[in-house]
Amino acid sequence: MQSSDEKSLPRVKPKSGQPSLPAAWRWVSERGLRVASGDATLATYSELVSRNLPEIEDVIPADGSLLLVLRQGAALSAELYAALAVPLAAAPTTRGSLHEIAVEYGGPAGPDLSALAEAAGMLAHAYIDSHAAMEYTVAFLGFQPGFPYLRGLPEALHAPRRASPRVRVVAGSVAIGGAYCGIYPAAGPGGWQIIGRTTSVLFDPAREAPALLIPGDRVRFVPL
Amino acid sequence: MIEIQRAGLCDLVVDLGRPGRGALGVPAGGAADPAALAAANRLVGNDAAAAGLEITLSGPVMRFPAGGVAALTGARFAVTRPSGAAVAWNETLVIAAGETLSIGQARDGCRCWLALRGGLAVPQVMGSRGTFLPAGFGGHLGRALQAGDALPFAPGAREVRLLRAHPPSGEPDAPLRVVAGPQAGLFDDAGLAAFFSRPYRVDPASDRRGLRLTGPAVIHARVEMASQGVLPGAIQVPPDGQPIILGWDGPVTGGYPVIAGVISADLPRLAQLRPGDAVRFVTIEREAARALAAAHWDIEEQG
Repeated sequence: MQSSDEKSLPRVKPKSGQPSLPAAWRWVSERGLRVASGDATLATYSELVSRNLPEIEDVIPADGSLLLVLRQGAALSAELYAALAVPLAAAPTTRGSLHEIAVEYGGPAGPDLSALAEAAGMLAHAYIDSHAAMEYTVAFLGFQPGFPYLRGLPEALHAPRRASPRVRVVAGSVAIGGAYCGIYPAAGPGGWQIIGRTTSVLFDPAREAPALLIPGDRVRFVPL
Repeated sequence: MIEIQRAGLCDLVVDLGRPGRGALGVPAGGAADPAALAAANRLVGNDAAAAGLEITLSGPVMRFPAGGVAALTGARFAVTRPSGAAVAWNETLVIAAGETLSIGQARDGCRCWLALRGGLAVPQVMGSRGTFLPAGFGGHLGRALQAGDALPFAPGAREVRLLRAHPPSGEPDAPLRVVAGPQAGLFDDAGLAAFFSRPYRVDPASDRRGLRLTGPAVIHARVEMASQGVLPGAIQVPPDGQPIILGWDGPVTGGYPVIAGVISADLPRLAQLRPGDAVRFVTIEREAARALAAAHWDIEEQG
């Protein structure tokens, strides 16, 4: 249940008054409970959301951890402990919807593609084929409303963020940051390497489902 | 209705926000001091969650063509009305038809809240009438108010009573209370000593997304860190060692180590910090922070 980042962290000195909290729990202010959840992040997220616990205001999935935002003043209930103690192998894993996202790769739409392909020792078309061959899973959203962190990028395509972020990234830009692929829902500053662009609308607050992709959804990129 | 004749620095329609949407990448937002907005709303006979204005450092000039009932809470601003009558804070104000309220500079603190009887009738977006400026939705057209804007009120639900509110007492100069953060262990003694022993200054590049601090650099072991969920009050330390306190419209996930988190009871004090203000931190146990009640405003008839 520990994610890799958790293992590398020195332990915070134990606090009095919290004798029974599992070692992998940390607090972000007094009402954010950060739980290391590793590969079971989405399953645990679904489990917590489905229980609809009254002391929880929000559950935010991230990279191998969940942040449980408690209502101000709320105590941890036995039911919350129980929900987090569900054996993770037994937790329900539902497959999310599959989305096909059409992408214009390279050129002005993907200004970093040729440099990334060269760094990976690939021709541009092979790089595109490799990127479009995978089925990705939405691990979590963050940075901007509707910005998906997609897991499943082939290791050869992992790339560091740009040393100096762009002041303006065009909406719909498909980009690579470390081991993740992402899509910028809106124009704005951004430091990921941009390989293409889609006309799909990732986030529209006026839609009934504002975010096109939600955690657990699956994505295939279709080259235009 | 109010007509904006001259906009302030950043006049935003706010309510109590849209919590529960972190998984979509959307922060809860809401008034930077929800209890102060709620108190202003009660002074005008509204539900606590009605939409009002959050005014930052310098306020708007607004005309009330048909009059209205208003209340101001939070930091004191210079404010005038044509009659020359004083404009009291924390009281029900009756505004005559055609009257203009001119809100100038903040005298102390940074933000005040203006409630209007009936509440501002802007559309709900994702469960809130509040503005989310970073993505440009909610509030009035997703942006701060501009000269020429006209914002209608919803009809008032209750009779008008002349009320006065008493804000909770506080120590504005006390250090901000923090709970040790999830990555506190990454910081060595020198880093923690820098963070806790000397004051930081609020940088002018601060806004509702985050308060940037300048001061002694907080050095930490550089590790490749996985993104984690964060919430307002979380204090991130980027590689340059200058801490950022995440604000109400900040991101829901972050990849910088979180050294500590400002407790909920002290978040309203963040709302009043202005560029150049000094900030100090002191730790508190989480259980003690949880037991602190939310700020209580007493409200009584004006006598």
